[in-house]
Amino acid sequence: MFNFAFNSLYEALYMNGHGLYVWSVVILVFISLLGFFIGYTVKIKKIKDKLNEPN
Amino acid sequence: MSIIWGLFFTPEDFVQGNSYRIIYLHVPASFLSQTLYLAMAISSVTYLIWRVKLAAYLIIAIAPIGAMTTFIALISGSIWGIPTWGTWWQWDARITSTLILFIMYLGLISLHNSFSNHEKADKLLSWLVIVGAANIPIIKKSVDWWSTLHQSASITLTDKPSIDPVMLYPLIGSIIGFFGLMICLVLLSSKYQILHREKNKSWVRDYV
Repeated sequence: MFNFAFNSLYEALYMNGHGLYVWSVVILVFISLLGFFIGYTVKIKKIKDKLNEPN
Repeated sequence: MSIIWGLFFTPEDFVQGNSYRIIYLHVPASFLSQTLYLAMAISSVTYLIWRVKLAAYLIIAIAPIGAMTTFIALISGSIWGIPTWGTWWQWDARITSTLILFIMYLGLISLHNSFSNHEKADKLLSWLVIVGAANIPIIKKSVDWWSTLHQSASITLTDKPSIDPVMLYPLIGSIIGFFGLMICLVLLSSKYQILHREKNKSWVRDYV
């Protein structure tokens, strides 16, 4: 069940010509998730900083 | 972990070749796009019946995350369509109803942002979310009700999965993993909404 499906790293990246499609989706998902995580963390930090400001 | 399992440790598909590996991102994204909308609908009902403020905050906290998962589902499906169907877009029932879901998410976010009166916005948004929930069964059943280019569901509650267990287990794992990630994102987004909406309350100042 856990046999590596490719003979080399190049094969894993190229995926018989389908690598471009697969990896572009992986990158899209990674960037979207990371963007949202960073975005919300920054927003929360900003609002906390604003609330901590002396009036 | 399951995505890595699916990408590197599952065999190549006999018909689709390696492009089928997009399934480990496309299926969890589309499953969550609908699940998140259902969560919004449940929150809307909770808000309208019991006036729970937190439920209203949850609706607008989920909406951008739902839009993101729907966007991923649409784009990954389009990319998958190029090597599999020979086209990136087809106006078939499943794809069109998912596009409608994406537009609904964007519309709800824009509508909420356009109101200065939050309470009015929450009430209107809740009703719209409930009305829009009619689209979810349409998305789910579209492949059965209409003749579509999109394949029918590989995993159902009633039938045996039409996908081989070697490919199925990492798929289930990636759905669970995505679910966990989305819960973390919804919690972060809810925290922001609570801080933003309750910023003038003394308990928020005490908390911060």
